[in-house]
Amino acid sequence: MPAMLCHRCDQMAAIRMKEHRLQFCKDHYIEWIIEQTEHVIHKYQMFTRHDRVLVAVSGGKDSLSLWDVLWKLNYQAEGMYINLGIEGDEHYSDKSESYARRFAEDRGLKLHVVNVRAQYGKTIPELARQKKWGQDRPCAVCGMVKRHIMNQAAQDSGSPILVTAHNLDDEAAVLLLNTMNWQVDLMRRQAPVLEAGGGLPRKAKPFCRLYERETAAYAVVRGIDYIEEECPHSDGSTQLYYKGILNRMEGDHAGYKLQFYASFLSARERLFGAKVVKEFEEGQTCPRCGQPTKTEGLCAFCKMTTFVG
Amino acid sequence: MSITFLLRKQEILLPIEKTLMVKEALQRLGYSSETHLVVRAGELLNDNEPLRDGDRVKLVPVISGG
Repeated sequence: MPAMLCHRCDQMAAIRMKEHRLQFCKDHYIEWIIEQTEHVIHKYQMFTRHDRVLVAVSGGKDSLSLWDVLWKLNYQAEGMYINLGIEGDEHYSDKSESYARRFAEDRGLKLHVVNVRAQYGKTIPELARQKKWGQDRPCAVCGMVKRHIMNQAAQDSGSPILVTAHNLDDEAAVLLLNTMNWQVDLMRRQAPVLEAGGGLPRKAKPFCRLYERETAAYAVVRGIDYIEEECPHSDGSTQLYYKGILNRMEGDHAGYKLQFYASFLSARERLFGAKVVKEFEEGQTCPRCGQPTKTEGLCAFCKMTTFVG
Repeated sequence: MSITFLLRKQEILLPIEKTLMVKEALQRLGYSSETHLVVRAGELLNDNEPLRDGDRVKLVPVISGG
């Protein structure tokens, strides 16, 4: 078997990406990921170097890699970590917070931290247990709480753009799930950029065209320490199920995931007729927090945390 | 002859008869390069890198989510 050489120099390749028919050594791979991220930021007009952006950081490979790339590209990016109070065998939340803090300290970056228990009196598992609909679905409660806190934090921190590290595998898995269930309203709102409105900040996903394997490889070659353990509640998650299906298809047809997602982005304007995508079109807002709600009165987050006191 | 794989806190011993390429070793373990990266002494290895008797390599899971 001949040696696999970098396509930009004569060094041994560290990674081969069949989906792009490319292979790079460590240094040129780092260079390529940074170029690709910058390209996506420009392509979808996500933000500029004049904007202050808030990066949602979990302590995992994707969010720390994204923050690292934005830092190397000289964007004004601060981090936002939410300690959810999830324990498991590994003190999952405290451990992931320590990775996020160390990353920020090493680079002299500002990290905002919200501790759910300190701020709202209960952890995510405790909040989930007190709601009938959340008892078997802590992930649904977790998602709702995280979205609310991140929206609020983006507004409070004066960074009107919230940046998340959703990668291509995340986006393709959600798209497949929504397609299987014909969740047209959710498909309408799936885009690399969501415009601000209804109390919600502008949101952008600069990694949306990068494979999860590519962001993991970036973290490895950059020597980024991140939490490798999975959330103890993620076992059997729907998202992992769809990612598994897509990876089996990718194994048979390199580039399948990118084609699925990129074709959807091309088709979405024809399907839904709008070039600019808003997370919140029109409707009611919560009288307490100002964020959107499907029903009259308090939103689900405010109802939940009001009872907690 | 064997290769030791470290996956999170687990050690997996893979008996081998000869040098294996990364992609062959992943296949024997039931994984693929879509789901796991292979790292030796901090260096990311491509699919065709040889793994030899006595190697201790880290398996990095790629897929996460909840």
